[in-house]
Amino acid sequence: MTNSSSHTHTEGRNEMTIQKDPVRTAAVVQQSSRTLGRVLLSGGTVVALVLLIGFFFAMRPDTFLSFVNVRNILYQVSILAIIAGAQTIVMVVGDFDLSVGATSSLAGAVAAAMMLDEHSMGVAILAALAVGLLVGLVNGVLIAYLNLSAFVATLATMTSVVGLAYLVTTGTTLFGLPPEFNALGQGRLFNVPLPVYFAVVISLVIWAMLRFTTIGRRWHAIGGNVEVARLSGVNVRFARLLAFTLAGLVSAIGGILLAARLGSAAAEQGGDNMMFSVAAVFLGMTVIRSGAANLGGTMIGVAIIGVMSNGLNIMGVNAYVQQVVTGLIIIAAVTLSSLKTRER
Amino acid sequence: MTADGTAIAEADAPDLGVPVPALEAADVVKRFDGVHALEGARFSVRAGEIHALLGENGAGKSTLIKILTGIHAPDAGVIRRDGQEVEFPTVRAAGRAGVVALYQELSTVPTISVAENILLGEQTPSGAGLVRWSVMRHRAKELLGRLNQHIPLGALGADLSPVQQTMVAVARALATDAGVLILDEPTASLTDTEIRDLFAVLRSLRDEGVAIVYVSHRLEEVFELCDRLTVMRNGRTIMTKDVAHSSIDEVISTMVGRAPGDLYPPRGTATTAIAMRVDGMTGRRVDDVSFSVCEGEVLGIGGLAGSGRSELLRLIAGAQRARSGQIVVGGAAVPAAAGVGRMLDAGVALVPEERRSQGVILNSSIQDNIALANIRAVSTGGVVHATRIADIAQRGMKDLRIKARGPRQDVGELSGGNQQKVVLAKMLARKPRVLLMDEPTRGIDVGTKAEIYRLIRDLAAAGTAVIAVSSELPELIGMSDRILVMHEGRIAGIVPAESADDELLLSYAYGRAQ
Repeated sequence: MTNSSSHTHTEGRNEMTIQKDPVRTAAVVQQSSRTLGRVLLSGGTVVALVLLIGFFFAMRPDTFLSFVNVRNILYQVSILAIIAGAQTIVMVVGDFDLSVGATSSLAGAVAAAMMLDEHSMGVAILAALAVGLLVGLVNGVLIAYLNLSAFVATLATMTSVVGLAYLVTTGTTLFGLPPEFNALGQGRLFNVPLPVYFAVVISLVIWAMLRFTTIGRRWHAIGGNVEVARLSGVNVRFARLLAFTLAGLVSAIGGILLAARLGSAAAEQGGDNMMFSVAAVFLGMTVIRSGAANLGGTMIGVAIIGVMSNGLNIMGVNAYVQQVVTGLIIIAAVTLSSLKTRER
Repeated sequence: MTADGTAIAEADAPDLGVPVPALEAADVVKRFDGVHALEGARFSVRAGEIHALLGENGAGKSTLIKILTGIHAPDAGVIRRDGQEVEFPTVRAAGRAGVVALYQELSTVPTISVAENILLGEQTPSGAGLVRWSVMRHRAKELLGRLNQHIPLGALGADLSPVQQTMVAVARALATDAGVLILDEPTASLTDTEIRDLFAVLRSLRDEGVAIVYVSHRLEEVFELCDRLTVMRNGRTIMTKDVAHSSIDEVISTMVGRAPGDLYPPRGTATTAIAMRVDGMTGRRVDDVSFSVCEGEVLGIGGLAGSGRSELLRLIAGAQRARSGQIVVGGAAVPAAAGVGRMLDAGVALVPEERRSQGVILNSSIQDNIALANIRAVSTGGVVHATRIADIAQRGMKDLRIKARGPRQDVGELSGGNQQKVVLAKMLARKPRVLLMDEPTRGIDVGTKAEIYRLIRDLAAAGTAVIAVSSELPELIGMSDRILVMHEGRIAGIVPAESADDELLLSYAYGRAQ
């Protein structure tokens, strides 16, 4: 499939010099229009982001691009950026993780419950991180070693983890958390909220991991072709286990920050981030030529979702409509992504 | 011999005395990516005969069958059904014309009942959109009765034995009033009694006037069952003959190709130092295989498709789990099923059979592909060095003369030969003691083939042991020092390449010589 398209390419180019046969000439024309289509397609997601920003700026010139509103957007998407980073790791390997949102909720709930139980903030955070790591580890064992499909395994852990979160919170919203904890989510440095810094640092770490480390190369190889990776001596199972485990840990960080930002913890407060994270990664996959998950692209996807939501908000569009539009964006992303794969 | 066979093929052209063939292919040409798969193949089968279609792997049998059943369209040539010129744009079109092929692996749907399997798709009796179960069971029973089979109609496809699956598939073909049945290696997984049952069914169908095309590597069966046979070689029909007037020896020598040309560099002198010993290797289709290979030696492995030759390589490379066995390489014993990573560390590297799905990541760059098997060499403390990746890639590209714009070009954009060189570069960067190659020159042009043969010789001269599986006999003889021939999972024989010829290798491969 992949190669046949590159074959038609070369043929198309060779025919240009001949151009006697009308059918072949038509093929050349089709060829060049396809190239134009590809440029639009590959740049499409970035173009869409720029158009969105332009549109909302035109609609609300005095507020939309103000420092306060931009800071607001960044603040709003910072948690999603972290969870989407976790999702990117798993999707680079060619899997996906439905439990990231639930895991983040559980981590927030565990941290909150422990602090309300008079444990120190440090212990509570470590425990919450450990819970996230553990959920990821379970996902990894189920998928990499027991050969469950990622869909079934993470759907099941998501279900159980949501249940656990309800048990930890006893179905209520836990609040009255220590101010030094809330400061992690609400405090500012140089007039920018702390979660924005966390999101930037975590994204950079994940980006560097994917790009510069041996495990990152292995993840990419597995996502590219698992059989080739295996026959090249990559320990595929262990690498997948690590990807899910790390995704669990990063999701927990997102959940802890979310609890700190809200100053409270409820069983399903991170749930929305699951679908949004998948959408962001899919949007990001359309950004690069190979169509693989990549952190830069994911962040563009996160930005699109954030700008969309914020822009519709300040235009006074109601939340339900926003939800409908978000669904449409996901469809658009997946369609773009699959068109792109077909092109290859 | 060949000239003689061709003469017979021509004498077989339709004339007035001969009945009109039920299905006929005349002068069929088919190219894939410019390579000829069929160059003027002709074949015809009459109603009421079982006609064997024979040839080595790659002779064009499968392509011809795919054209007869609407999977591929011919580039040139004519297909006639009962004398009428026809075109089969789809499998369904061929099916409607009564031409049905049965494939061993895909014969039944495992999750539905026997009755549903037999009356699948358009044959399902229905009224007002509802399945008429009683009619379905009645018809299924009738069709199985025609085959003298008593398979419970409610059993699931998954519960059937291989021969029952074949019978169900035959019954399904009868449900469509198939006049031409094509069977591709139908006995591959059957026991002797089951084979006898199947043959009885096929004979009774023949006597009812069904035309049967029988593709098999098992020549004894062909001579037991079939009425006529056609032998193909290199995409051409070489001979069509009554089975009664032919012999297994004649068929084998007709299937054989030309003598090896000067594609192959002269053989070197292997040492007597043992590079690797394989002891009692056993897997799903490999049964207790033991042999050793010396440093500087090229050991070819031959055998029919399904004889276990590829699996043997994969078992040695750790790519497939062995049931038992041991490998001694470089003086150290490695248990079977150690995994690819450990075998690579021990100095055993595999260049797999399917380049595009197993050898290279197509939408990844040359350098990333080469680095993949060498991650430790290009990194320190878990961090990869871009410069070392570039170095290792540059070296591989230079040594193997890979033609590309640069190390960052996607492998998917390269020619088949250059992709194969990338796989080789990836594995050679590990400096293996033993290099395993599965079909090293499949689908690549003659020029690159010669380069790869020279490379194999150079590696051997430098002390590497090379083990290469090939289904092309001239290649086996031309590139190897010794040739190991597999038959049904076991070693049928090991012969020096100098004294091997095609007939000897084929007779081992068919299990005729011991």
